[in-house]
Amino acid sequence: MNSSAVSRELAFDQLDGDIELRDPAFGAGVRKEDFAVIALAFAGAAVAAAIVATGGVASDPTTVATVLVANIAALALGGLIWRRGRPASSFGNLLLAEGVLVFVSALSGSANSVVHLIGMLGGWAAGLGATWLLLSFPGSRVTGAAWIVMGLAVATFLVGELPLMLLSPKVVGVSGIANCAGACPANPALAVDAPGAAAAFRHVEGVLQLAWGLGLLFYLSTTFAWASHARRRLLLPVFATSAPFVAAFAINAAVFDLAGAPPNATARAIFAATRIIFPLGFIAGLLFARAYAGEALAFMARKLVGRPSVATVEQLVRRVLDDPQARLVFWLPRSEQFVDRHGTPVVLDPAYEGARWSAFGHGDVRVLAVVHDVVLGEDPELVTAVGAASLLALDNRRLEHDLLDSVDALRASQRRLVGAASAERRKIERDLHDGVQQQLVALRIRLELVRDLAGESGGLADRLAELAADFDDALDELRAAAHGIYPPLLADEGLEAALREVARRWHVPLNAELDDVGRLSEDRETAIYYCCLEALQNVAKHAGDDAVASLRLWRDPKAVRFSVSDNGVGFLSRPGAKGAGLTNMVDRMGAVGGTLAVRSAPGEGTTVLGRVTIEASDRVGDVVHA
Amino acid sequence: MSSTPELAERKGVYRLVVAEDAYLIREGIRSALEREVEEVEVLEYCPDLGSLLRAVEADPPDVVITDIRMPPTNSDEGIQAAATLRKEHPAIGVVVISQYVSPHYALKLFEYGSAGRAYLLKEHVGHRIQLMEAIREVAAGGSVVDPKVVDVLVEARMRAKNSLLSRLSAREREVLAGVATGASNAAIAESLFLTKRAVEKNINSLFAKLDLTDDKTTSRRVRAALLFLADSDLEAGPDL
Repeated sequence: MNSSAVSRELAFDQLDGDIELRDPAFGAGVRKEDFAVIALAFAGAAVAAAIVATGGVASDPTTVATVLVANIAALALGGLIWRRGRPASSFGNLLLAEGVLVFVSALSGSANSVVHLIGMLGGWAAGLGATWLLLSFPGSRVTGAAWIVMGLAVATFLVGELPLMLLSPKVVGVSGIANCAGACPANPALAVDAPGAAAAFRHVEGVLQLAWGLGLLFYLSTTFAWASHARRRLLLPVFATSAPFVAAFAINAAVFDLAGAPPNATARAIFAATRIIFPLGFIAGLLFARAYAGEALAFMARKLVGRPSVATVEQLVRRVLDDPQARLVFWLPRSEQFVDRHGTPVVLDPAYEGARWSAFGHGDVRVLAVVHDVVLGEDPELVTAVGAASLLALDNRRLEHDLLDSVDALRASQRRLVGAASAERRKIERDLHDGVQQQLVALRIRLELVRDLAGESGGLADRLAELAADFDDALDELRAAAHGIYPPLLADEGLEAALREVARRWHVPLNAELDDVGRLSEDRETAIYYCCLEALQNVAKHAGDDAVASLRLWRDPKAVRFSVSDNGVGFLSRPGAKGAGLTNMVDRMGAVGGTLAVRSAPGEGTTVLGRVTIEASDRVGDVVHA
Repeated sequence: MSSTPELAERKGVYRLVVAEDAYLIREGIRSALEREVEEVEVLEYCPDLGSLLRAVEADPPDVVITDIRMPPTNSDEGIQAAATLRKEHPAIGVVVISQYVSPHYALKLFEYGSAGRAYLLKEHVGHRIQLMEAIREVAAGGSVVDPKVVDVLVEARMRAKNSLLSRLSAREREVLAGVATGASNAAIAESLFLTKRAVEKNINSLFAKLDLTDDKTTSRRVRAALLFLADSDLEAGPDL
């Protein structure tokens, strides 16, 4: 293995290293802290179940234990999934914290009065926590109108439950399931036993709790109703799993706290069921969003196959993000700014990166950014998928542009070469004409003068006549050679005159219809001239003895065109099977940016059509018709 | 110049201006013309178009012999000179000398009128008879085309199958070639060893066969014949 192979291999190794294959959101193994969380959750769930089962306080220990275990497991799992799926979001941590609070609430199953009270407070905290989760989802902070609902929840505890704890010997708790059947431990926080006041506060608490539940329900409904499609994907599972729970919570408040109905096993079972389901919505929401991002990626990949324009990619991004204002902007590394697809600079506030716009590139090199609605900041999977697909599509386009650029450059250099070659040939012809040919002509004149002196008869006169004939032959040959190098008529008079001369001297019948096409640049005139010549030679060689050729030269507003056709035997065109002559013609025309087409079929003759675009520098219409 | 003198009646000396930029050719022409001192007087040798036209203005000659390609542009100054003289001095005959065998240039020369114009290949300048005939013809308002230019055309036309030329007899083709060079009926008769009457008969029949209108003015006849030969189409040449 030589050194370059080694270095190439090294380079590939480095390349592999550069690509982060262990995407935190995809196919990664379980980390140590994840194990710790899972182990803790298991232990917590087991302990909670044990407390409830052995405490003898809960009126329905099996249901309560089931709810606690299910909630702790779901919150721990949800927390882990969120932490991994959206590392930037702290919602996963909120879920874990809620799990801890649920565990604390299990202490209310203890017969020990202090532990029981701590559990009761834990239950309240878990209830407030659940409210916070619903109000902040999918972010981690409560904002705006959600604070009213949060305020109601906190007020329920401060104005309703807290006084009750000081005035009532029996602590009821926030949820109907942890109610003690009658073996309630004494309330260690009891300050004054005032049943009348307690009843009043119980009423206040019931009203506030109803308002809290209804407020939350109202908040969730309106949020969902007003949410964009992108946000609904995330909200729908949460809404679907939390609405029954919140509704059950509000009904409990109305029926048991306000109306004073006796505790009911069926109601407890329904509430327990809704509580088990509730945290699963957070997991489902994330999974839905991810599934949609996957679909979006597949959809974009399908649509991006046909080399779409930048505008098309942008349209696609808008459609997939369901954000009609979304834009693609492109990073200019030299001027260090973003521009839109029209080249207008776009200023993006770095503080909103991730929330209102997301940048994509290779490693640390930015290429483009997707500017999107702030809502989509909650849906980074989708934005990432869309951004990555756009990057891929536009990278391909850029590659293609680079390729086209190099083809252009190649063509330009080819044209320069052809131009240089034809200029060189023309110069050689000129040199021959003005140099050796002129000298021969001058000598021929002198020879004639000598012949004149030698008289009309005699051996010398005969010798001189022979010499003169030889001289003429030499001159003819030199003329033919110079003409073959470059036809002087083409340089002096242009295509029409040069091709007319060809037609005049052509050795097979030829119909020539030649228009005055003016003058083109030398390289293009040369290309057309030699293509016509080559095509005519093909007619003579291949079309058959009786074939009549037609040569046409004309122009339209955009291009000079020519055709060489015959009524000869024709040939069967096979793709890829071009003769050297034809390839030569195609190359000649290609080098000057022209095109050449050949049509033929057996028995139907052959037509060669060529076209060269008129350029601004061409002196078309410059030539005066005599 | 007063009136165009008839060739036969011409007495005295042709006054010439010669324009040729190449030294070797110019010296060749000088030597060729020095033989003809009795018939020819060269007023001036000019190296380019400008000096030629100035010399003509200063002292109008009978005949101008001019290179086709000269400074300032080295393209077709000889033909430009002929065109200018057609307007300014229609009586001056012009012999354009050229290295080009292509009939394009001869036809281009005739585009501004064929009377008093000759197209001669440079290598034939040393040929006494050809040179002097060209000078005499143009001075008399006739036309001359170098036989070699005509030969090239006839050859090409003969090679082409279905050519209208194939309708002609060999004799008629020879006569046509003679007509195209600008030769008079008498000259054709002499070169082909025919009677003048036989030549006239041949001309009538070949012009009829080729669908050409026979013009009694030889200079127009030359152009018609040349155009016919130069027209590569299978149809007859343009009606003149």
